[in-house]
Amino acid sequence: MVAGSSESEATLSRSRLDRRTFLKVSGLAAGAAAGVPVFIPNLGRSADTLKIGVSEELTGVYAYPARNEINGMRMAVDDRNKRGGVLGRQVELVVEDNANNPGTAVEKARKLIQVDKVLALIGTVNSAVSIATSGVAAENRIPFIDSGGHADQVTGSECRWSTYRTCHSTWMETHATGYSIEKKFGKKWYFITPDYSFGHALLTGYQDMQSRLGVQVVGADLTPLGTTDFSAYLTKVLGAKPDVLILMVQGDDLVNALKQANSSGLLSRLPVAGPQGELEVFWSLPKEARVGYWGFEWYYNSPIVLGGNARAKQFVADYTAKHNEPPTARSAFGYITVTRMMDAFAATKGTDPVKVARAIAGPVDALCGSQARYRDVDHQLIWPMWFGDVRADGTPHDPKDIFNVIDEQPGDRIERSDAEMQGICKMAYP
Amino acid sequence: MIERLAPEVVNGIVLGSFYAIVAIGLSLIMNLTGTINLAHGSFMTLAGYLAFAIMSRGGSFWVALGGAALLTMVVGVAVERLFIARLYKRIPLYSLLLTFGLSLIAEESFRLIWGPSSVPFAVPTNLQGSTALGNIVLPTYRLVIMGALVIVITALLLFLYRTRLGLRLRGAVQDPDMMAALGTNTRVLYTVNFAVGVLLAAIAGIFAAGLLGLQPTMGNSLLMPAFITVVIGGMGSLIGSIVGGLLIGLTVSITTLYLPAASEIVMYVLMAVVLLVRPRGLFGEAGIFG
Amino acid sequence: MRLRANAVGTSLIAIVLLALPWLLPAAKLNISLGTTVLLFALAASSVNILLGYTGLMAFGNAAFFGVGAYASALFAIHTVPSLLPAVAVGSIAGMLSAMLVGPFLIRRRGIYFSLLTIAFGQVYYFVAYRWNDMTGGEDGLTVQRPPLAAAKGVDDAQFYFFALAIFALFMVVLWYVLRSPFGLTLRAIGQNEVRARYLGIDTNRFVYFALTLSGLFAGTAGALYSMSINFAYPLLMDWHQSGDFVMMVVLGGTGTLWGPLVGATIYALGANVLSSATEAWQIAIGALFVACVLLFPRGLLGLGSRSGGAAPQSLAMEAGAEPVALAAQGYEPVAQRDLG
Repeated sequence: MVAGSSESEATLSRSRLDRRTFLKVSGLAAGAAAGVPVFIPNLGRSADTLKIGVSEELTGVYAYPARNEINGMRMAVDDRNKRGGVLGRQVELVVEDNANNPGTAVEKARKLIQVDKVLALIGTVNSAVSIATSGVAAENRIPFIDSGGHADQVTGSECRWSTYRTCHSTWMETHATGYSIEKKFGKKWYFITPDYSFGHALLTGYQDMQSRLGVQVVGADLTPLGTTDFSAYLTKVLGAKPDVLILMVQGDDLVNALKQANSSGLLSRLPVAGPQGELEVFWSLPKEARVGYWGFEWYYNSPIVLGGNARAKQFVADYTAKHNEPPTARSAFGYITVTRMMDAFAATKGTDPVKVARAIAGPVDALCGSQARYRDVDHQLIWPMWFGDVRADGTPHDPKDIFNVIDEQPGDRIERSDAEMQGICKMAYP
Repeated sequence: MIERLAPEVVNGIVLGSFYAIVAIGLSLIMNLTGTINLAHGSFMTLAGYLAFAIMSRGGSFWVALGGAALLTMVVGVAVERLFIARLYKRIPLYSLLLTFGLSLIAEESFRLIWGPSSVPFAVPTNLQGSTALGNIVLPTYRLVIMGALVIVITALLLFLYRTRLGLRLRGAVQDPDMMAALGTNTRVLYTVNFAVGVLLAAIAGIFAAGLLGLQPTMGNSLLMPAFITVVIGGMGSLIGSIVGGLLIGLTVSITTLYLPAASEIVMYVLMAVVLLVRPRGLFGEAGIFG
Repeated sequence: MRLRANAVGTSLIAIVLLALPWLLPAAKLNISLGTTVLLFALAASSVNILLGYTGLMAFGNAAFFGVGAYASALFAIHTVPSLLPAVAVGSIAGMLSAMLVGPFLIRRRGIYFSLLTIAFGQVYYFVAYRWNDMTGGEDGLTVQRPPLAAAKGVDDAQFYFFALAIFALFMVVLWYVLRSPFGLTLRAIGQNEVRARYLGIDTNRFVYFALTLSGLFAGTAGALYSMSINFAYPLLMDWHQSGDFVMMVVLGGTGTLWGPLVGATIYALGANVLSSATEAWQIAIGALFVACVLLFPRGLLGLGSRSGGAAPQSLAMEAGAEPVALAAQGYEPVAQRDLG
């Protein structure tokens, strides 16, 4: 149901296998078979539009967030085109499905750059896909903004001159929630971490907070992926008497953990918190699992998030009117990302990739009340993260309004400092 | 200690029963027709979604269980008649690839119909919560699943060993030509057999949806352990599937308790060890359906 | 036998492959897609060695492919950043990965063999997924494409020709191997293992050699693949990937030298073009598999052979059926067929 609703919206103006292409291909085949040189005129290249390539996980488990990112992008582009576009040209989004597979993502990114001649790339949800796409963009010397892949490497150890990132890094998620958790609940923490690389990255982040805040970790468990029964862990948690349980498991494992925490009565004795709550996920949870305190990367209905940002409020209103569903953080990522890319082209008054890449850095309107900027040192968007709990039923006039934001952590506080980052990310412009 | 071990043992038995019931379904189909049914996981997921659809239209969990299982079986019969039956005379590779193709189609169709994320599949409230047995507290839903799966397996054994149809099925596995010569329509037997396999998958799928969460790849996540179960239990052995399933379930959950890092790989280690000691699997020589 | 290389066909294929870097951009496709086609074809050939010639239903070759991919990437990252050694290391690693699981596989046949290859393939998948420190886990492993010689980078077009050279080399090797006494033995096993055994052939040993050769092919394809996309990730080893490789073989024509190439071309180009056109592309791919199995089970290259376009009633029954060698394995419609 969720996928179907915005289906038509996400059906994209991408390179279709149209009749012309087919004729070309068959002509080529015939020509090649006959052993004669084939000349195919380069028909219909719309040189008058400024093309931005979008690589998204349109199929696979991330299809819903991917679609929301595209919805956000489209809003920004349509809006800009109505106002005359960029550099006097209309902006065209060329969307490709990376199938949630890094290998496919590489092919699609190369196709977008080499065949469709896009001048920039944006998109991605899955971190592996982000990292792979980042590499292709650098090889081909065009700017790329990772809208939604969270792994630290993207703007860390594998940072590149051409790659920026809009969503928060894993480090930022753990640090933002770490400060809020300590402030609200106290210093005795218990970790339940999924035993794979994303879980380990989260754990590293929280362990750093442990030393910063003088937190005492009273217990830590690593759970295998696909753990269905958390009762043994939950019993251990209660025995260790922490102030808060920090739950880092994801996806369906998280659903199971939350259901069991709820039904076993643990929630009435102990708060559960975690690095990140996504609307796409929590909307699809049964009520008994819509619990806990989470980090939010953006939220559509909170004065703490939106502040006095009129443009953000307009975005929420327009988006909700158009899609009959409020924007999620993913929608905001898409909007912020493509807006920034278009601004960078406008600012350089040209399409030189290196100049455009440099122009992406700097202050930006991140649809929130606070300051935000794409940082020079690692190209990460430095913006706040928020914290709050989940209202299982939403509010009476908006059942989708299920997050209750209670705290904001400023961007500069939650990411590594410039100096620290310089040691990790060695960036060199060509 | 027992307080921590007991839930894991129960959990192991529940998981193991799932593996067993899926493996039995796979085994039935494999034994009689030589088809490795890679779409088996899709039938599980389909049943889950159908149950979800019935419940969201006001049906109770038990109505959904019965209705969705039967509907899935009907789909299974259609698939067998329309596609798989055409391949019985060919080498098993083709039915393997056919079901592989069907599973790709099914997975993407689920996504298009019910969305890519999980749907809120809610177990009735009286099945949620925990049940205390002495000082051991166990999740009620798991106990229910355990009971239900035991009933299903018993019913299957009764069907195979106490009914004429069951007798014919077992006979057909031993010697289909002889069965045909004796006047049995083996063609119908194949369909019945496939339907029984799908029914088992469907029941497992619906219970699993309440346990694992329901999304398009749910069934496939149970498929691989079920294959390992067949390998460990020994191909052709029903008892092997049951013992193999429980063995894997218990090994995995007890490893989770003591050495979580090894809990995913332990299943494969178990398989390798069993194959080294008994190349045909634990019950592989005991004969078909033994 | 069909192995007598069709000179015209082969030259035509050679011409198309050599011209591909110019054909693809004209068809609005990127050059590296051609590289992917070649490497999938090489991986599918590794399946073909087992499936098409030795009559073994291998469903786990993606594991060897993935091991090759990781090995070459890790070698390039941690030791000498040089293309040829990296690929060589990947090839050997792929071969070793097959030799490692070989002892478990060689005693089983039929669907039991399939089941075991799926299961052992997943072992490699899990190792890649879980061994974060080495493989990067699910985030994958980024590798810079190493230079071929000196410090000169290799661009996508140059890499295509590099891959083409290796692909051609392996196809020539395969052609010779299949005509050698060793290859004839494999095909004898594929046609009738019991007969081969009565002739005194230690069939298990030859199956092991076939697996080793298959691992070498798959490993090489994988090694080149990670160098092509500059990335390695666990999904490369998943059983779905194995299934895709098998499907490419069947699409093109089981037991034919060029079948895997034809199948890989259809599969890779089809998936790429379709996924740009519709979000339901996976359904189309699945439907293609189903249609192929039901309508042209001998694959495209098999269409013209002997029985013409008529849908073969039963490959299993046609003992001499070319080109599907394994058809003659003595399969009957039902029941236990485990020869082991």
